[in-house]
Amino acid sequence: MTAALKRLGGSLIVLAVVLALNFFLFRVMPGDPLTSIVDPRFSPEAKAQLASQWGLDKPLSEQFVVYIREMLSFRFGLSMMTGAPVWDELKKRVPNTVALLLPALVLSASLGLWLGVKAALNRGSAIERVVLLTGAVSFSFPSFFVQILLLMCFAYFWRLFPLSGTTSIPPPSGGMAVLDYIWHLALPLCSLVIMGFGGFALYIRNMMVKALGEDYVLMARARGLPFRRVVWNHAFRSILPPVLTILLLSLPGVVSGAVVTETVFSMNGVGRFLLEATNSHDYPAAGAAFFSLALLTVGCNLLADAVYILVDPRVRREGSRE
Amino acid sequence: MRNTGRFLCLISFLLASVTLASGAGAASFDISRYNGPKMKDLYYVIIRDMDAQLLAMSSGRLDVLSDIYRPADVERLSKSGVADLSLAATFHGMFITFNTRKFPWDQTILRQAASQAAERRRWTRDLFSGYCEPMSSFLPIISPFYESGVTHFPPGVEAARRRLADAGWTWNSAGWLVAPDGRELPATKILCPPSSIAATTTEIATLMAEALVSIGIPAQAEPIDFQTMLARVDVRDFDACTNAWLMSRDPDVLYSFYHSSMDVEGGYNMSGIADPELDRVLHQLRYAPDEAAAREYSSRAQKMLAELMPVIPIYSRYSISAMKKGWDGVFLTDRSTADNLLTLISMTPAEGGERPIYWNIPEEIRTLNPLVSSIAYDWTVLGTIYDTLISVDPYTFEDMPWLAESWSITTGESGSVLTFTLREGLKWQDGYPLTVEDIAYSIQFIKDNNVPRFYDSVKDVASIETDLKNRTLRIEMANTSYWHLHNIGGGVLPLPKHILENVKDWRAWQPTNTPHKALDGTTLTELIGTGPFTFRESRTGEYVHMTRNEHYMLRNKGARSE
Repeated sequence: MTAALKRLGGSLIVLAVVLALNFFLFRVMPGDPLTSIVDPRFSPEAKAQLASQWGLDKPLSEQFVVYIREMLSFRFGLSMMTGAPVWDELKKRVPNTVALLLPALVLSASLGLWLGVKAALNRGSAIERVVLLTGAVSFSFPSFFVQILLLMCFAYFWRLFPLSGTTSIPPPSGGMAVLDYIWHLALPLCSLVIMGFGGFALYIRNMMVKALGEDYVLMARARGLPFRRVVWNHAFRSILPPVLTILLLSLPGVVSGAVVTETVFSMNGVGRFLLEATNSHDYPAAGAAFFSLALLTVGCNLLADAVYILVDPRVRREGSRE
Repeated sequence: MRNTGRFLCLISFLLASVTLASGAGAASFDISRYNGPKMKDLYYVIIRDMDAQLLAMSSGRLDVLSDIYRPADVERLSKSGVADLSLAATFHGMFITFNTRKFPWDQTILRQAASQAAERRRWTRDLFSGYCEPMSSFLPIISPFYESGVTHFPPGVEAARRRLADAGWTWNSAGWLVAPDGRELPATKILCPPSSIAATTTEIATLMAEALVSIGIPAQAEPIDFQTMLARVDVRDFDACTNAWLMSRDPDVLYSFYHSSMDVEGGYNMSGIADPELDRVLHQLRYAPDEAAAREYSSRAQKMLAELMPVIPIYSRYSISAMKKGWDGVFLTDRSTADNLLTLISMTPAEGGERPIYWNIPEEIRTLNPLVSSIAYDWTVLGTIYDTLISVDPYTFEDMPWLAESWSITTGESGSVLTFTLREGLKWQDGYPLTVEDIAYSIQFIKDNNVPRFYDSVKDVASIETDLKNRTLRIEMANTSYWHLHNIGGGVLPLPKHILENVKDWRAWQPTNTPHKALDGTTLTELIGTGPFTFRESRTGEYVHMTRNEHYMLRNKGARSE
């Protein structure tokens, strides 16, 4: 219990630091949010009006108080790019990001896991060589290249999938809208799975090879336990905690890295919003996006800890001894 | 030579392959001959990735694609045969700016020599395969105020060196220039964005540095993060830098770039040029009482700038757009590509009937609040919803009647007096009549609220009088300037009074999310203008759906667009 509270306290401190850094880093970064709004026809007086309307003429301490209030209340203020509440902007984008990234992560992890275990169990065989090769290729290809290639083949030449967006124009109604949405997500999802499974497959194969050579696995086999049980209950279970940790901790990176996918497939998601907010120095939007990412990272971290306790009895026992 | 030939062939091909609109080539433009819009549905489709845009265009899923800038893409599209391409000069200008506040760039002769050494023609040919125009003026060539009679120093490295030698500059044993007073030149760093952001700009900076070295000025390009570059230029911490601007047809922009009062932190006089005579002429240009005076001061300012050379003009980009084959009524001139409002109004499928128009926008629409939006792509949409009092003749870029059928500018006791007479029978998209009261209210609203986007246009408005019966609006300004006509007539959007008076917080106003309150059972929102298309729906990051405005001033006139 004490350990859990300590972890929670630590996470809150991390969040507080991120919150403060978010404010100050954006303001000391070179550039000016007004640069993307004004053009040479704006006089210095008009520029001053603009600064005043966004509260940029106020002392930094006053701006900081407003910022903290907006962040902690999850209102996040108005986006300087769109003039709309940042919370509304995020709400419009999160469903697309979740609908794309969650299945992509689950599918690529499952495929990577299956292939990684298969390769480890068939060392030196053609299966292992194929897994190592495809894993390395999948892991090393630049995402935009794979995605443009998929678009060329399956949306341009064979016209099986749409070229862009998440809906047909004009959009269908009723149940067809759901099918239409899935149809639009299919190609970006495939591209993410193609690019994502390789890393998992290589990582799991290496871990499994090591685990399968451990004494307790040999002992289990010597005891005459069924092979499947030895593989999944003994070897795989021992690598499960680090695999789950990697999986959970990769989530924030996947969200922020979704920008390429969202650009190539013209999808409306959080990754692109984050990039545009940062590039335009949209303080409220960038602050909110980074704060949300920090929350996601800290949340995933805590979840990884909890899962670790759940799947590793040694950690559970150490926790109860404390 | 080979590239030049290829370029000329391609330009001829492009110009020959476009669908010329009826009436193209006319000396001036008569809007009353147009009747439209003809198509009912217009979709602005958001496709961000350039390759995806090309795939969509090549596969016939887009009707219009604008801003094609990669030479390879132009050739790919022209070979695909699915689209007609059009090309036109633009108001874009790319410059090398020198910091004239410090040695050595405070020396006018050095800037003139640098300009001579810049091989604009070769650079644009090599880097852009000819899809750019070398530029040696301070206003775009298509501006009606462009002055061709300015001094042009003979180009070339040898000519530049001769010029410097004649003025008493010498070269030391290492080949570097020495000023007549014996001072050696410090190294010049040309700030530019990194090649990952703007490859051709980085290349131009490198070529410029090489040109400077060739006349004995130690120089090198310094690619840095774009925001860092802007920040350093804002606080004047630079020797030289690259700049690119999309200017307007009015020469008043010269005041922003070269008047000493604009040399403040973050101001647009980045070169820091401060010449009392130039200041005087630019002031006269800004406050010219009429068009004749504006032309005279604009010409003088350009001539002075060509001598002072605070920045080196390098090139101006062409606009290239693609239009899917099979559309009639495409409008284009030698100054306008096919992706324009008049095309939108008059385009019809060649096979007849009705079908939606799919028009690409390469970025997400940020906001459709006309009071705050500053992004060009937002204005692509807003430009089909809102009209202005006067417009621009697509052949000559001179003023042209639009919502106002006539206007005048005179000088009164306090300053300029603008008088506009509206066309008869104008209506908003929701069917309400458009009156001079709406326009007066819009101007007053913008002025009272200090709306930054229109602040400079309305800040000098002293009084407004309306005459409903004669549809006349009389605006008295607090000072005299010919540009008030363009700032008010072409710069301020008439907004409907019956909607604007209910807007509580104009900054947070989301007209597309607010249903129209005054009409029962309507699907209209508060985004109501007088333009050819009415806003219907926007799906963030996907598309904007518009439908034909049945109340449009050019609709149902019984005339054809011939």
